[in-house]
Amino acid sequence: MSDIGPELPDDEALAAEHALGVLTAQERAAAEQRMARDPVFAAEVLAWRARLAPLAEEIAPVAAPAGLWPRIERMLAANDNSQGVRRRLRFWRAATLGSLAVTAASLAAVVFLAARPPEVITQPRPPMGPMMNARLMSDGGQPLFLAAYDPERKSILVASLVPPGADPDHSHELWLIPADGKPRSLGLIDPGASKAMPMSEPMAEMTTEGVSLAVSVEPRGGSRQEGPSGPLAAVGKLARL
Amino acid sequence: MGPPSIATLDPLAELMSQIAAGDRSAMRRLYDATSAKLFGVCLRILSDKDESEDVLQEVYLTIWRRADRYEAERASVMAWISTIARNRAIDRLRARGPLAYAEPVDELQIEDEAPRAEALLEASQDGQALARCLDELDARTQGAIRTAFFEGLTYEALARRLDAPLGTVKSWIRRGLLKLRGCLER
Repeated sequence: MSDIGPELPDDEALAAEHALGVLTAQERAAAEQRMARDPVFAAEVLAWRARLAPLAEEIAPVAAPAGLWPRIERMLAANDNSQGVRRRLRFWRAATLGSLAVTAASLAAVVFLAARPPEVITQPRPPMGPMMNARLMSDGGQPLFLAAYDPERKSILVASLVPPGADPDHSHELWLIPADGKPRSLGLIDPGASKAMPMSEPMAEMTTEGVSLAVSVEPRGGSRQEGPSGPLAAVGKLARL
Repeated sequence: MGPPSIATLDPLAELMSQIAAGDRSAMRRLYDATSAKLFGVCLRILSDKDESEDVLQEVYLTIWRRADRYEAERASVMAWISTIARNRAIDRLRARGPLAYAEPVDELQIEDEAPRAEALLEASQDGQALARCLDELDARTQGAIRTAFFEGLTYEALARRLDAPLGTVKSWIRRGLLKLRGCLER
């Protein structure tokens, strides 16, 4: 019987439970954050995922809906440059502080706590030029910010899906990365807030389909250098609605 | 000579490096080879075709962006992407609430927890070892671990499902997992 006998030690139990999938949303988020800062714990989780993964072999395949591939294919283009943007932006990061790197990773995890589903922002007025929007995703593919470009008002509307009050020691700064690859700051966005960020005329002209938006984690008040100084929390690309 | 690496045995491993380089036709081949499996994984947890389709779309976009993170020495491609699918489906299930679990839907013909004989025959070496070790556990513990894995239930939902106290279910699983690890390491 299994009513007696030793149990897994607490830390490994947590890793195994996270891999098995029995944790609540909040516990899952905490475990993901811990994986980002604790390599030993992360290795335990990966080892348990590997131990349990063969169980999935028992699940019978079910043909995916016919319309799904075309939809995925259309989205590949809008998603294919985030690695390129990350690489290019590394150039702009003169110094990366360890604490900031952890923060960027934990932001992704903490978003699980936000109950709001990622919805496309509703446009306040009918469009004049091309309306565009972007989902800014974390490294792990979690949407952290939603943005829409309003060509009539020449501003970017941005909504933060990061829970309000999260990460009070840092500021989140939104950047426009136009074709020249040089990031331009659009301003700061508080966790959980939505706001319109006005753009200068030259910046509005650079805001064309396919340009990237990124949010970096900065010291309070924003980056003190020309480009982002902290790690990127999320990256996305503007596409026509 | 050591055993051949997973990369040489895994026909999908080469696709991952092509996908990491931005090759969309490789992505299409991966989708064709794996989407039915991953849809099965999502459906098993969510029991909802529309939600499973949404999750599957996110899963493939994640693979597209993160293909460069795949490490062949750690896991087979199928194991890696199945884990992504399971995690995303569980996140979606959690968004319904801590006690949420999928109501089995007849039309989806979800099979019960017992391992299928034919699945075992097709199972990888790791799969056979895991099945053998799960069989060493008592039926109740094995059932709890299987249900947790296949349906993505929280401890609390699992306790309700099994009609047992929460602390008891936790102990079953923690003891069971310890035994499982010991058996797999033998």
